Amino acid sequence: MFKFIKKVLKGGWSNFRRQGFLSFATSLIIFIVVSLATSLYFFEQGVSFVSDKIRDKMDVSVYFKENVTRESILEIREKVIKMPEVKSAEYVSAEEAYERFEKNHQDDDYLKSLWAIQVNPFSASLLIKTNQTEDYKAVSQYFKTEEMAPYVREVNDYKRGMVIEKFSNMANTIEKVGFFLTIFLSLVALVIAYNTVRLSIYSQRMEIKVMHLVGAKNNFIKWPFLIQGALCGFFASLVCLILFYVLFYFLKDSLVSITEGFDIYAIYMNNLSLVIMIQFGTGIGLGLISSYFAVRKYLKG
Amino acid sequence: MIEFKKVTKDYVSNIGKEVKPALKDISFSVKEGEFVTLCGRSGAGKTTILKMIACEEKPNSGNVFFFGQDTSKIKKGQAFAIRQQVGFIFQDFKLLSYKTVFENVFYALEVTNQENKKTQDDVMRVLDLVGLSKKFNRFPRELSGGEQQRVCIARALIHRPKVILADEPTGNLDPYHSRDIMKMLMKINEGGATIILSTHDKEIVNSIKKRVITVEDGKIIRDEENGMFFI
Repeated sequence: MFKFIKKVLKGGWSNFRRQGFLSFATSLIIFIVVSLATSLYFFEQGVSFVSDKIRDKMDVSVYFKENVTRESILEIREKVIKMPEVKSAEYVSAEEAYERFEKNHQDDDYLKSLWAIQVNPFSASLLIKTNQTEDYKAVSQYFKTEEMAPYVREVNDYKRGMVIEKFSNMANTIEKVGFFLTIFLSLVALVIAYNTVRLSIYSQRMEIKVMHLVGAKNNFIKWPFLIQGALCGFFASLVCLILFYVLFYFLKDSLVSITEGFDIYAIYMNNLSLVIMIQFGTGIGLGLISSYFAVRKYLKG
Repeated sequence: MIEFKKVTKDYVSNIGKEVKPALKDISFSVKEGEFVTLCGRSGAGKTTILKMIACEEKPNSGNVFFFGQDTSKIKKGQAFAIRQQVGFIFQDFKLLSYKTVFENVFYALEVTNQENKKTQDDVMRVLDLVGLSKKFNRFPRELSGGEQQRVCIARALIHRPKVILADEPTGNLDPYHSRDIMKMLMKINEGGATIILSTHDKEIVNSIKKRVITVEDGKIIRDEENGMFFI
């Protein structure tokens, strides 16, 4: 058994090495498929990040009347936080709201107007984030009930709610379209890769016949071709792994600044074992399976 | 050793499903150590006879016996066992283009699980026999037609087959190379190997002066010891 394995490995490696151009062409096509598979993974990561980022900025702001005490607001906060739809509820006092405004508008004329009136126009508020986008309505409705009327001055969600929904729908659509587009392109590349491998084995069909005539068994003929296909996939995946590493390394700063924090390089390194599995699984699997089906046809004869 | 008993073979064309008879009820036998020449015009059925011995084709009726084994009853996946006992020399050489001369010859040993250090030396000895020991690491594309045919002969010999089938081995060669190849085959036969040669070359048939089976339109029309080529 060991002798057989050694023979076929040697034969497969020899074929791969000596058929330089054919091996290169096949590896190149497999590289495209592996790149698409990797791109799909990181595209999903990116869209997920951006969607979470957008959703993170969405909140329901509840402004309380001036006579409502801090303790009352905190009590309401305790009730709200127990709601299953609510992810978090942050209490912002009037003073804190003033300070935040000062910080965000340091160079604006708004500040001068604020200083002119010499009164804090801001009220205490609760900034509430929900688990799902759809939950905002339920939370917002709660604060518009009669029970809350004595406490609540304003619930700021209506217009923002529309924006929230639009952004949410847009993010979902981009995610779906991108996913299906990548799947489609991957399938196209897969078909091209499969046919490239088939063509390369087709070009060797006479050699397969000769091997039969010399008395070789089917397994002895088949396995070097499978090894050859797997090697094409292996090297395609290796190049892809290195290329994406280099690409992400140089792109990381630009991406972080554009997307406010999407560190693609960090994601790549943190999920390296999964990335390797995806790339080598796709590459070697494609090489092996394509070779198997291609050579099988000529072994039947 | 090899026996054909009332063998008939028809080929059916893919277009129009036309039936073309290749062999019609032929019977003959070949003894061990014989040198038999199958001669006849192109399309007479010579190659079909060789293919049947090597289990590449099965008869529509009749039986082909190879050392007592009925090859028509062998399953496709088991044909390799017969082929490992046969050395095949092809008109178009049929060398493996991505293997060197040494590897092409050695391949015949690998498929029969005979490869080891000693047999590696045997390969070099056989290459020396055919005059190609200095070109053992060349690829087929780097050899002339005559040299490629000699590699083919070496591959056919190396695993000491029971019978050597030569299908128009000089068909693609000039007269000088053809003469060398035939000398080599004669020498191999003198060593005890059974050889069945298929050719339509009159000069070769007449120079060998061995048993000649003449095939025409799928039938054996003549079978003579010390035969000659007849038109």
